[in-house]
Amino acid sequence: MTTLTTPAAAAAAPTRLRRTLALAGAETRLLLRNRTAVVNSVLLPLFLVAFVPVAGLGGHGPVGPRIAVTAFAVTLVFLTYYNLVTTYVARREELVLQRMRSGELTPGEVLLGTATPTLLVTVSQVVLVLAGTAVIGEWSAPADVVLPVVALVGGMVLMTLLAAASTSFTRTAESAQITTLPLVVLASVASGVVVPLSAFPDQVAQVMRLTPIEPIVELARLGLVGQTWDGRAVDWAGAWAAAPQPLLVLAAWIAVAAVVAPRVFRWAPRR
Amino acid sequence: MQLTRPRTDVDPRGDAVRPAVEVTDLRRRYGDVEAVRGISFEVHPGEVFALLGVNGAGKTSALEVLEGLAPVSGGTVRVLGADPVADRAAVRPHLGVLLQSSGLPADLTVRETVRLWGATLTGARPEDEALAQVGLTGRADVRVRSLSGGERRRLDLTLALLGSPRVVVLDEPTTGLDPESRRTVWGLVRQRVAEGAAVVLTTHHLEEAEELADRIAVMRAGRIVLSGTAAEIAATQPATIRFTMPAGAPALPAVPGAEVVAAAPRVELHTRALQPVLTRLLAWADAHGLVLGGLQARAASLEQAFLAVADGADPS
Repeated sequence: MTTLTTPAAAAAAPTRLRRTLALAGAETRLLLRNRTAVVNSVLLPLFLVAFVPVAGLGGHGPVGPRIAVTAFAVTLVFLTYYNLVTTYVARREELVLQRMRSGELTPGEVLLGTATPTLLVTVSQVVLVLAGTAVIGEWSAPADVVLPVVALVGGMVLMTLLAAASTSFTRTAESAQITTLPLVVLASVASGVVVPLSAFPDQVAQVMRLTPIEPIVELARLGLVGQTWDGRAVDWAGAWAAAPQPLLVLAAWIAVAAVVAPRVFRWAPRR
Repeated sequence: MQLTRPRTDVDPRGDAVRPAVEVTDLRRRYGDVEAVRGISFEVHPGEVFALLGVNGAGKTSALEVLEGLAPVSGGTVRVLGADPVADRAAVRPHLGVLLQSSGLPADLTVRETVRLWGATLTGARPEDEALAQVGLTGRADVRVRSLSGGERRRLDLTLALLGSPRVVVLDEPTTGLDPESRRTVWGLVRQRVAEGAAVVLTTHHLEEAEELADRIAVMRAGRIVLSGTAAEIAATQPATIRFTMPAGAPALPAVPGAEVVAAAPRVELHTRALQPVLTRLLAWADAHGLVLGGLQARAASLEQAFLAVADGADPS
């Protein structure tokens, strides 16, 4: 019988990890060949750190943790989300995604491998901000380290999924400047980074706490600053006591995005 | 139209060899448009099957299902006995796919591209061997964006065949290639077939189908309207006899089995019985002492049969 179990199948198949790493390695090589992107990736967080002494933000206790919280939100939205929407759309329109899908790479491996350089830059930028604020003496011990890590990892997962979903209404890489605006505006208005949620009426603030970026900011702030969404100072135990709601909201957004993204993602341009 | 050929192939144990590709009543719909309207065919190991048709006939839509890139709207497709979409992980290691158009990361070199693709495949061949086969060794360190269209197509083909697949799907493999490169591609396809691979290809080059394919199906508006070997398909159209009648010759008598489509002096006859009609014609000319100027007698070609179907005529 001509079946799938003949000797040809006996050759060693690459593991999921190896396949993903192969694509991620090639994508990283492509990123490193784009000098402008590399320089921007390094300079942007350094500018953010340099802004602290230039603007005279210090002086009332270390501002490093608060800068880091801002860096979480800014990096995840403006780098991770925006970059991935443009990357996925560009690769789709150039028919690269369709080519990658025609081999043994699974759809998830293609998306993850393609996203890897952006995710690495995201982590690098956050680390650079943390290190930079420490170097200029604006750092203090965090209330908890797990919550910020969960916020960053969860945020990267959510941004990747939302980026994949956003490609369904983004026809070209250029039009991503428009189609990514809703999340950018939402992040600016409702995440608590630009305007503290405590400045809004309580009912409005509670609604804002259900938006996708706010739980990331809230978890990062709990861990790094030791402060709740409404400005209350907390220690380690207090941080974890306040963490369930943002954890649940973040998990819910990830779950929704994980269901929606595969359903609406297109691998090839519209015919 | 059913396109199933009875096969007597057996494996070394004497078991019947199952087709590598089995397509049964395949349908594919985009919204209100049904691009593929119930086609069926089989392809066996060591066989080349060509799908022909004008643009929009449904060839690529059918192949996308074989490639596992799109689900069926109706019917079934099996590649090595498995559903290429539902059993994707099982089928993919055995499947080589050349898409009609696809992209590659433009800033990777040819060698890096082959290395990347090979790292994701089961049993990939060495990259140097693969590049040499398509004549790209000298271009190995050139970035993909700098390749000519023909070189990109050869790189595409290299990737499609890199994993030594048992089923190869080639959607217009030689589009944009010069004649020499085209023959290189034909050689690679023949080599895969000699190694036992089943090949399904589409092409707009009819000579390519004649050169490579064991069997051919012609699609029109989502259906297979002609099928068989190249000779069988060509035989669906009448043979043509052409000659110039000499001045003063008597009127051409009715020849049973022949249809006059152009009258004297430049006569053209169509017939499905070329030899007897030609014999009678020559006997008549001999009896009247006539020399038929520029006499030509030709069996129909695959191209004639294809054009007749593509033009919408009913195939015989």
